[in-house]
Amino acid sequence: MKRGLIVILSFILLLPIYHASEISTLEADGDIGYRQVGLIWSTDSPTEEGTIFEIWISNETIIETANATKHSQVMVGNVSGISQPVMGEWYDDCQYNFGDTEWIPVHRDLDGTAVVPPGTIGVNCTLTGIPSGTEIHLAVLLVNPSNESILSPSISSSSTSSDEEIIVIETSPYIFAIGSIALSIMILLFMLRWMDYREGRTTSRFAHIYIAPAILALSVLTFYPVLYGIWLSFTNADQSHLGDQSFIGIENFITVISTSGFFRVTGFTLLWSVVNVAAHIGFGLLLAMALNSDDLRGRSAYRTALLLPWAIPSYISVLVWRGLYEPAGALNDFLGTDLNLLADPNGARIVVILVNIWLGIPFMMMSISGALQALPKDMYEAAEVDGINKFSRFFYLTLPNLKSALVPLSLLGFIWTFNMFNVIYLMTDGGPNLDFDGPGSTDILITYVYDVAFRDGSYGVAAAWSVVIFLMLVVFSWTYMKKTNATEAVT
Amino acid sequence: MDGRIISSLIVVLILFSPGCLSTDESSELDSTDSNIELTVWHSFAAESKEQATFESRIEAFMSSNPGVEVKISAIPYPEADQQFMIAAQGGEAPDIVRLSSDQLGKIGDIRVGGQPLLEDLRLHLTPIERSKFDPRALNAMKYEGDLLGIPASQDCLSLLFNPILFDAAGVDYPNENWTLNDMLLAASTLTSGDVNGLALPVKDAYWWFGFQAGFGGSLFDENGTPTLNSNGSSDSMDWMLDLELEHGVVQTGTNIESMKTQFLSSKTAMIIDGPWNWVTYEAGRIPLQQTLLPIVSDTGERIAPLVTYKGWSVSKQSLNKEWSTKLALFLSSSEVQKEFAIETYTMPTHIDLYDDSDISDNIVISGFLEQLMQGTPAPTTRAMALVYDPLGTAFENVYTGEMTSSEALFLANQALESDLERI
Repeated sequence: MKRGLIVILSFILLLPIYHASEISTLEADGDIGYRQVGLIWSTDSPTEEGTIFEIWISNETIIETANATKHSQVMVGNVSGISQPVMGEWYDDCQYNFGDTEWIPVHRDLDGTAVVPPGTIGVNCTLTGIPSGTEIHLAVLLVNPSNESILSPSISSSSTSSDEEIIVIETSPYIFAIGSIALSIMILLFMLRWMDYREGRTTSRFAHIYIAPAILALSVLTFYPVLYGIWLSFTNADQSHLGDQSFIGIENFITVISTSGFFRVTGFTLLWSVVNVAAHIGFGLLLAMALNSDDLRGRSAYRTALLLPWAIPSYISVLVWRGLYEPAGALNDFLGTDLNLLADPNGARIVVILVNIWLGIPFMMMSISGALQALPKDMYEAAEVDGINKFSRFFYLTLPNLKSALVPLSLLGFIWTFNMFNVIYLMTDGGPNLDFDGPGSTDILITYVYDVAFRDGSYGVAAAWSVVIFLMLVVFSWTYMKKTNATEAVT
Repeated sequence: MDGRIISSLIVVLILFSPGCLSTDESSELDSTDSNIELTVWHSFAAESKEQATFESRIEAFMSSNPGVEVKISAIPYPEADQQFMIAAQGGEAPDIVRLSSDQLGKIGDIRVGGQPLLEDLRLHLTPIERSKFDPRALNAMKYEGDLLGIPASQDCLSLLFNPILFDAAGVDYPNENWTLNDMLLAASTLTSGDVNGLALPVKDAYWWFGFQAGFGGSLFDENGTPTLNSNGSSDSMDWMLDLELEHGVVQTGTNIESMKTQFLSSKTAMIIDGPWNWVTYEAGRIPLQQTLLPIVSDTGERIAPLVTYKGWSVSKQSLNKEWSTKLALFLSSSEVQKEFAIETYTMPTHIDLYDDSDISDNIVISGFLEQLMQGTPAPTTRAMALVYDPLGTAFENVYTGEMTSSEALFLANQALESDLERI
C-alpha cells in the first residue's frame, strides 16, 4: 500500500518532466502571397530532439491524416553544421523561435528538409503550392520521439492573393505608327491628285488611287521597318531592354566603328562582292555568248543543265557543297587528300566565294542571254562584211550594246551579293573564328549583324551595323550610277 | 469613286483605331477550370520515340482532366530559348516550354516590359513535391534563386564502344578502371585503314568540359569568376586536340554529325556520346556497350562530363499558371519519367527511380546514371551561357596553330570577363 502510494506520487511529480509537447496554437494567414498561406504554430512546451512536425492539407476538415495530403515537415534535431539559408534564399521560408519574439531562419538538411533545434516552441512557415482562391484545411501532426502522434485541430484558410498583374505587350504604338503612316500617305496621294489635276499634268482621275495600294504596302512593309531600324540604332535596345529602351545618341555607331574586326569584315565583304559579281558577269557573259552561238547544237539541253544551280533551293545546294568540302567529303576522296579547307581561314574564304560564284552564274547567264538575243543581227553581218574580227566585234559591238543590261545587272548583283546571307551562314557560319571580340574569318557584314542581333542580343548595335551597311550601299550605288551613267543607259 | 475613297478610309481607320483606343494592361489571370486551353512547346525530334511518348502522355493528361485542352508545338531544341524569347516579346509565349538548364541561364535575365519571361515555380510547388527530385537537378533549374523549371531529364556524355571492332583487333573492352593512356593506346591499335579508334568533336567545348575537370581545371571558381586559364585547362585542351592533330586516332574534322555517321557505319570503335543517340545506334543495328569515361593518370581524377538538365518551364505570361504547373509536374512525374527512360533511354531525375528495379536492371540506363553521378552539374548562370563563344574561338586558334592553348585560354578568359562586365 505504501509502495503503491510512492509510485503514484513519483508519477505525478515526474509527469511534467516527461510531458510530451502538444500543439497549443495554430494560425493561418491566407493573404501573404499568390499560392501561399502563412502557418504559425507553437507548442505548449519546448520540443525535444527527434520530434517531427508534419503539415497536412486537405479540402475538407482534417480529422485524421488519411483524408489529407502531406505538405511538408519540420524536424527537431541537432543543427550544428547544417546550412541555414537566409530568408528568400531557399525555395520556401520557415522560421522558429524559443517562445520569444525573435524569429530565426530554419536550417536545411541535405535533402532540403527544415530542421530546428531542440527547445523550439514556435514555428512560422510560408506554405507554397496552395491552390489559389480555394478554401483549404490545415493541420499539424506532431510526432514525438517515442513515435506518438498528436494531430492538431484543423483550421481553414484560403490563399486570397491573386497572381501579379501580367503586363500584356503594348503593341498599340506600333499599330498607331503604321496607321499614321498609312493615313499620311493617303492624304498625300489625295493632295498630289488634286495638284496634278489642277495643273493639267494628268487627265486621269483615278491614277493616284491605282498606285495607292502599292504605296501603302511599301510604306508599311519597307519604309516603316527601315525608319524603325534607324531609330533603334540610336537606342540601348537589347534582350533585356526591348520595350523600354532609351535614346543613347551615337554610342552604338561608336561601338560599330571600334569593333576590332570592323575594317577586316568590311574589307572581306567588298572582296566577296567584287569577286563574286565579276565572276558572275564574266562567266555569265561567256556562257550566254556560247549559248547564243548559231553553231551550237542541243542548246536547250545546255541551257537546262546550266540553270540547275538556280533551280535547286540554294540551302540544299550549299549544304551539298559543304559536305563535298568536309574532310570526309568527296573532294578529299577524289584527290586522295586529308584537306580540311573549311577549318582554314583562307581555305574557307576561297570555298565560300567559289560556291557563291557557282550559285550566281545562271541568273547572270539568263539575263545576259536575253539581252544578247535583242541585239540586231545585221550589225554583226555588216561588221563581218567589213572584215572586223570576232575579238573586235565583241569589244566594239557587243559590250557597248550590252551596257544597258550589264550596268543595272552588276549593280543589282553587287547589292544582292553584299547582303547574301545564306551561303556563308550555311557553309561556315562565319567561321573559323579566330578573333575573340569580332567577326569570324568568313563573316561578311550581314552575317556578323545576325550574330550581334541574335547571338549577343544587342539589337541597338545590330541596327547601327544595318544603318552602316545601308549607307555603304547607298554611297556605292549613287557613285556607280554617276560614273557609269546607268540611268541614261537604261532610259 | 466616292465609294472607293470611303472604303480606303475605312481600311485606314481600322489600322489607325487600335492605336487610339486605350488597352487594358492587365488580363484576366485565371480561367475557370471547365474550359482551359494550354499551349506546350516541346523540342523532341520529329517522329522520334520521345515525341510519341510525349504525345501519349499529353493524351493521358487530357483524359484525366476533361476540361483541359493541350495544344502542342514542336520547336528545334537549339533555338528553343531564342524562339521563346521572340514569342514572349510579342506576347505570344506558350504556357509551357521545354528548356535545358543552360538555356535557363541564357534567358534568366531577359525582361520584357520589365517582367521576366518565366514563372518562379517556388510558389507553385509544395516541399513534398520538390523533394521527389534529385536536389542537383532541382538546383540546376534555379536561376539566381528562382526555380524556373521542373527537371524532367538529365544528360551527360559517356564512353560507348563497338565490341565487334574490339574483338576483330584483339583489344580488351574498355572498363571503368581505364586511364586516358589506356584509351589512347587502344584507340591507336584500333585505328587502321578507314577505321578510327575514337570519334569525338575535338574542337567542341561541351566535349572538353569533362576532360578539363579530369585534368584539374575548372570553368569558374566558387564566386562564379571565370577560371579558364589554368594548367589543367590548357593540358586538357592540348590532349583533346592532339587526338586528331598528333595521334590521328580521331578522323580529321570530326564534328557532332560526322562522329555519329562514323559510329553508325562501324568506322570508329569508340565514341564519346550521350544517351540521346543510343536509340539511333540501336536502330542502326550497331552492337554497342557503354562504360565510364576514363581516369586521368596524372591527377587520378575521372573525366567528369558536364551534366545538363532539361525540364518544363511555365511562362510568366501564362493565364493558367496553376494548370500549367500541374501539367509540368505531370510531365516530370515518376511515371512519365520512367516511361521515357525505358522507351527512349532518357535519364530520370526522380530520386524514386534511381532505386526502381526496372531502371537499375536496365544496363544502359543504370550505366549512364552511374556516369551522371561522376559528372559535374552545369552551373545555371549567364556566365555559363556565355562561355561557349570565347572557348570556340580559343579552340579555333589552337587548332589552326595561331596560338598555344595557354595563350588562347588566357584571351578566352579575358573575353568572358569582359562580356560579363558588359552585362
